[in-house]
Amino acid sequence: MLIIGEKINGTLKKTAAAIAARDAAFIQDLAQRQAAAGADYLDVNAGTASAGEPEDLAWLIDCVQAVVEVPLCLDSANLAAIKVGLERVKYMPLVNSISGEARRLEGVLPLVAERGCPVIALLLDDQGIPADVERRLAIAGRILDCTRQAGVPDERIYVDPLAMALSTRTEGALIALETMRSIHADHTGVHFCCGLSNVSFGLPVRRLVNQAFLAQALAAGLDAAIIDPLDQGLINMLYATELVLGRDHFCRNYTKAFRSGKLFLA
Amino acid sequence: MSDALITAISELEEAQVVDLVQERLAAGADPQAILTACRDGMAQVGKRYEAGEYYVSELIMAGELFKQANALLAPHFAVGDGATKGKVVVGTVKGDIHDIGKDLVVGMLKAGGFEVIDLGVDVPVEAFVQAVKESGAKVVGLSGLITLSFDSMKETVAALEAAGLRSQVKVMVGGGSLTEKVREYVGADALGSDAQAAVSLANQWL
Repeated sequence: MLIIGEKINGTLKKTAAAIAARDAAFIQDLAQRQAAAGADYLDVNAGTASAGEPEDLAWLIDCVQAVVEVPLCLDSANLAAIKVGLERVKYMPLVNSISGEARRLEGVLPLVAERGCPVIALLLDDQGIPADVERRLAIAGRILDCTRQAGVPDERIYVDPLAMALSTRTEGALIALETMRSIHADHTGVHFCCGLSNVSFGLPVRRLVNQAFLAQALAAGLDAAIIDPLDQGLINMLYATELVLGRDHFCRNYTKAFRSGKLFLA
Repeated sequence: MSDALITAISELEEAQVVDLVQERLAAGADPQAILTACRDGMAQVGKRYEAGEYYVSELIMAGELFKQANALLAPHFAVGDGATKGKVVVGTVKGDIHDIGKDLVVGMLKAGGFEVIDLGVDVPVEAFVQAVKESGAKVVGLSGLITLSFDSMKETVAALEAAGLRSQVKVMVGGGSLTEKVREYVGADALGSDAQAAVSLANQWL
């Protein structure tokens, strides 16, 4: 299970302010704490309006790489920013993201293919986010046709099934779970990655909902997640669920995590 | 405010709302009075949401309840009968496909008695201009969650200006990452922090 630390995100107000003020200490603290908590990748999202984004992302990357040795997840809808990011990273990054949208397949996919880096693929297209499983599967099929044609093996694709807010649609999580199960059955090499916090939007005790979804998503095939690695409840649920699903040989990950102080009930 | 229908909507009692509307219609009550009670109930839901007692899911459920009640009432209104408080053009701006906030605003405005022209998501600048021209709406609501949407909002306001429509409309903006600074940057008249705020602003302006 890959943990992608979500906290360096310019769409969050405090981080946006830190980026604008070039407050390196604030960003580096987020990077170090997430790395110490065991993040496999750190998501970097400059979140700014289009013109300044490449420059802001470059600054973020330099900032983070100065203090931690963790690969980055380049998170941007801006092609220029992704390009700048790819030039700057020390380690092979995860690119976030391509989708069924023409401009992302044409812009980002060739870069990913050329560099050989893994990439997150969102199941949406130029018509938006499909409400049902069938159309999401159709988009997944089209994306995989393109990535294979570009020479990217399925093993480098992390499909994001797009879990939606439960407060606005009762089946918002279920659709993502069914989508994953179905793709998993047909294309065993493909990975899955998603953010968890979307599902609990607008609800009280959000972390509880995120945990319940994580357990179900792991069972449906999720093997990477963009999460807050400092969320103790989520980390507990992650180790315990992998154990329950028979993915933890002789319970070694679980017991090791406990001994190193990673697992405890707050 | 002891009306059972107002309470039923405020408490989100789905079956009760439908029963009460049907009973009242059968008893010959004034459909306009029933609609007013429904709107009062919705206003209470909005207040409970604002106060942090209700959550997004409950606001959405209230919107569905209101739609059901409206569907029962519609055949009882003659054409041109259901005068609205005014027209509001609403959409999520170009480059952004987030619909939750926008849909909440649309639902609450409708329940608040406004005629809403919902342009959907990822709405091109020109579509806003055209909708304002065609409808003569006096209020425009621009929604956007991602920071990329700030520039689209600015472009949309500028396009209204260029089309000579800016002085006839009030523009409100809303979305998770918006601040008063952003409102100033895009040149909107007001920032609404939630769906209820959109209704209050429209009431002020129309």
